[in-house]
Amino acid sequence: MKSAPGFGEASTAALTVSILSGFVVALQYEAALPFVSAVAMEAELPFGAFWRSLHFWSSQFFVVLLVAHIVQRLDALPRLSGKDAPASGKRRWAVAGLTFPLAVMALFTGYVLRFDGTGQAAGAIAEHLVLDIPFAGHALNRFLLAIEREGVNRVYTVHIFLTAVCWALGTWYHTRKVILSRDSFFTVATLCAVWACLVPAPIDLPGENVTLIKGPWFFIGIQELLRDVEPFYAGIMVPSIPVAILLFLPWADNRKNWFAALGVWLAFYLLFTAMGIMR
Amino acid sequence: MDKRSFLKRVIFGVISLCASWPLYRFVTAERFRPPKKVTVAGSFRAGQHVMEHDFALFVTPDGPVAISRRCTHLGCIINYDERKGQFICPCHQSRFTRDGHYIAGPAKRDLPRYEVRTLEDNRGYVVLVT
Repeated sequence: MKSAPGFGEASTAALTVSILSGFVVALQYEAALPFVSAVAMEAELPFGAFWRSLHFWSSQFFVVLLVAHIVQRLDALPRLSGKDAPASGKRRWAVAGLTFPLAVMALFTGYVLRFDGTGQAAGAIAEHLVLDIPFAGHALNRFLLAIEREGVNRVYTVHIFLTAVCWALGTWYHTRKVILSRDSFFTVATLCAVWACLVPAPIDLPGENVTLIKGPWFFIGIQELLRDVEPFYAGIMVPSIPVAILLFLPWADNRKNWFAALGVWLAFYLLFTAMGIMR
Repeated sequence: MDKRSFLKRVIFGVISLCASWPLYRFVTAERFRPPKKVTVAGSFRAGQHVMEHDFALFVTPDGPVAISRRCTHLGCIINYDERKGQFICPCHQSRFTRDGHYIAGPAKRDLPRYEVRTLEDNRGYVVLVT
């Protein structure tokens, strides 16, 4: 009997399901009418709810499995950062580690693309946060979002582009080949499909006087922080800290301290997320 | 790093920067878009209001007033609570009076107003969303 796929292979499988279901969803999605086309998919088109749900959940699973894979591979750090270790190994860790923030951004843009109450609010907040970045804010916004002037056109392009970059980084850069057996793919695809049948992908229907919108689950902590802290610090600096630590771990002299810093950050973020959920 | 490889990197960096310039210019340019004109058709009496996606139009005894529905904190679309006569941002709970003045929350600034033109024969209004 074959063993279950590791987290790395499972995350590749989930990403593959996400890409394939994304192609299907894209055939009926209209960037000019994002919310209308998302609702029509859900309410009107045969199997529309299933395809949306499969794309949504496989993308969520991809990010969760990717995080599990990164945590599982932290044991490779002593080998990468040893005195005789080549610099290329450290660099490869940092570049492959970029898959994590890019995957979160791809997931985030997916929320924006459905353009319901949550999606619109998430997009508006992201745009204002990016514009708050000194010097590069305007250019970054034009590259990534520009929702206020352009609608979701750029977000749609970036969503597809980031997914392609995640695939490229995770396969030909990271492992130099696609490590994905047929059995692993079908196992993960079946699990995603069953889950998608059971749990619909969320969408907010138009409602008057909504007084509280909660953002995507991984964004709730930031949303909570934004109530009291300046946007640049709450929305840009705070989420950048764990990514920076993760990418530069191979160069760190005393990794225990950095792991402790990651732990403190995580505890702090979970606390704010819990506060946001309880509102 | 020896002098030769340092120089190679510098040259590579300069060439990359030059090559990115056309991309930067293309993407960051904003093409011309005429101001968005939203027609609110109908005959309204003083005291009535209409909610559109971008603004709330209040018909007052002094004339129509269009208040932006974009929160001045981070741009979320705010909603109007008729019972309290206030705008509330669903993202971070900033609050504003019905004429757009800031009351509480992280927004700190009043809501902007848009220019409103009245159509002939009281057939409604045109709001210029800028």
